Amino acid sequence: MFRIVEKPIEVGAIVTEAFRPDCGAVATFVGTTRIDESSGASVKYLEYEAYRPMADRKLEEIGAEIRDRWEVGEVRIVHRLGRVDPGEPSVVIVVAAPRRGPAFEASRYAIERIKEIVPIWKREIWSDGYVWVGSQVDTRSPV
Amino acid sequence: MSKVTVLFFGAAADQAGARQIEVPVGDRAKLAEIWPVLTDMHPGLAPLRDTLAFAVNGEYARMEDAVSAGDEVAVLPPVSGG
Repeated sequence: MFRIVEKPIEVGAIVTEAFRPDCGAVATFVGTTRIDESSGASVKYLEYEAYRPMADRKLEEIGAEIRDRWEVGEVRIVHRLGRVDPGEPSVVIVVAAPRRGPAFEASRYAIERIKEIVPIWKREIWSDGYVWVGSQVDTRSPV
Repeated sequence: MSKVTVLFFGAAADQAGARQIEVPVGDRAKLAEIWPVLTDMHPGLAPLRDTLAFAVNGEYARMEDAVSAGDEVAVLPPVSGG
């Protein structure tokens, strides 16, 4: 199950719906928005945008890559778009596998691949402007 | 004249001052030929060149790949999901 949503992610349901009798391990990775501070200003929230449907397809590709590499029963990835407030989940990855090794490894692989190939971008909204993460482009006033 | 649609995302949309434009494209054009047209129209894009990736019709593309009339070209800054 691969989904891009524009509302809060219901982490619990995404995890429990991955439970299966043929899987003895369910690894969950939750990425949450982290707030950095500098020079008296702070990040108010993050805002995500995506190139769809390419982003949706890339999430599915990651799922296929995982199935090529590990024995897994279920892969679920949900990524949120729009405004995400501090400490809220922006991405949830759940991998159910017969054994814990592949579950852990595949969930780590999924988040690393999301950061490599899925066309999603975030900007930090600061009190004095915004910054595109990963690009040297911002509107914050110089210190 | 035939055209392609060009989509800008993230920092590239900021630098272009646009999210979607149409640009003319010749017969047997390559993606590389689109870039100078984009920077002529939106000079703010030029400094981003080395950081950008491109997609044609929703799949990553290289500069030597072909583009033809009606294609959708996307200008993609470094992704930062997660």
